[in-house]
Amino acid sequence: MKVHVDMSICLLHGQCVIAAPEVFSFDDEGQLQWLADVDDGLRADVEAAADACPEQAIRID
Amino acid sequence: MTLSALDPGTAPYLDLSDPTFSIRSEPVRQARAASWYARTPYGLAVLRYDDVQKLLRHPKLRQGSYLWPQHNDVTGKFATWWMSMLLCQEGDTHARLRRMANPAFSPKLIADLLPKFQALAGRLIDRFAKKGECDFIAEFSEPYATGVICDLLGLPFEKWRELADIAGDMGLALGVTFKRDLPIIEAATEKLFAYAEELVADRRANPSDDFIGMLVKANADKAQLSDQELLDMIVLAIFGGIDTTRNQLGLAMSVFIDHPDQWALLAERPELGKAAVEEVMRVRPTVTWVTRAATETFTYNDLEIPQGTTLHLFSQSAGTDPAVFPDAGFDITAERKAHFGFGGGAHHCLGHFIARGDMTEALKLLARRLRNPRLNGEAQWLPDSGNTGAISLPIAFDPEA
Ligand code: HEM
Ligand code: SF4
Repeated sequence: MKVHVDMSICLLHGQCVIAAPEVFSFDDEGQLQWLADVDDGLRADVEAAADACPEQAIRID
Repeated sequence: MTLSALDPGTAPYLDLSDPTFSIRSEPVRQARAASWYARTPYGLAVLRYDDVQKLLRHPKLRQGSYLWPQHNDVTGKFATWWMSMLLCQEGDTHARLRRMANPAFSPKLIADLLPKFQALAGRLIDRFAKKGECDFIAEFSEPYATGVICDLLGLPFEKWRELADIAGDMGLALGVTFKRDLPIIEAATEKLFAYAEELVADRRANPSDDFIGMLVKANADKAQLSDQELLDMIVLAIFGGIDTTRNQLGLAMSVFIDHPDQWALLAERPELGKAAVEEVMRVRPTVTWVTRAATETFTYNDLEIPQGTTLHLFSQSAGTDPAVFPDAGFDITAERKAHFGFGGGAHHCLGHFIARGDMTEALKLLARRLRNPRLNGEAQWLPDSGNTGAISLPIAFDPEA
């Protein structure tokens, strides 16, 4: 499963980090990092993150 | 050079304690042009878009209202709930509660409720459309905001008055007479918890996939969401969802009365409903600021912010910051950056899909059915700061045939 974040609309709320901490995180500079290619076992968590994102910036393929 | 927020320095001063202070006043605009922050009697005010965005999610800041009962020297049922509910939690506990609540607030679940919101709006408009006038707050925004919560909880619409009264009584806790009103607040808190317990008991007996049903499911693993946390969350949804939506819809109507061409455009193009909600919340958010408190001393933009400092992040002034919105006229067709009317960061409003969905449906239908709305007498307003809005908003419009 591929995960995309549209950084032109992401406002770094970090709701994805709360919903799926195995996939999304903030680095020391406060920038969003995420795994672009995720094991299907984490699908439920990634979908929860995409749902929870206030800006709806996360796309799953 | 690093300045300390404790130094008077040269930063502008805004007197938030003055009852006539307005978040939309010239002094605020001048302060924003001169400086990213202002001093206030209660800490700092952050004025510009970029700084509000950065500080909303700053790791050295926590939500600032958690000590409110303590500041008022109040204990009891309300205070206990307040200190333990989602908004006043941080870090791991906040994340766990939010993860548990997310499914109940998901956009898919809300999409199923939109036809109910449409029906509710239609039913309320039917009552006054032919009259050609109404008090928009008493006859629309309040019953609508509360009716939406009834739909969410699976309660019949007839419960709306009772629920609105309980939420209103509980809301006295946010005012300056918190301590004096405590007996009323405690009684309302008790009633709301009794409601929540009844709803939970019903869904345990009749499992469902609705809002309460999803929260009850999350509560199956008590280590993740305890019985008490489940009730606290339901009470928060009712408490946090009613006044905000009532006020925001009243503000929307008042903004559109000042921009009749935009109202006519919305009537013609209902697909602009979603954008209309965003544009209203950018220029006229009911939550004009959110508060944060520094958990340790840190430096931001060369300013030393001591531990314990309160910061008011001004969503209204951020949303009209000319650095980000150079052509800031009210325009529901413009492409805009996101506003902060729902806050931001870890505490970003959990109910925003509900609020966005219900306000979109309401505005679409109102624009179609109430033509040429105008003021019809003196409106009564809350102070133009903190959580603002109209208490009464008499309007007239072309009567429906
Ligand atoms: C137009 C309507 C609404 C507005 C303007 C609004 C605004 C806000 C704001 C600004 C915050 C953040 C407060 C802070 O950071 O200090 C917030 C948080 C919250 N809101 Fe809303 N809200 C609205 C409707 C709702 C509704 C309908 C619900 C529930 C059904 C709701 C539930 C919540 C909850 C649970 C939080 C706490 C989130 C957390 O701390 O993680 N809100 N809201
Ligand atoms: S929740 Fe959305 S907006 Fe927030 S950091 Fe994640 S992707 Fe960005």
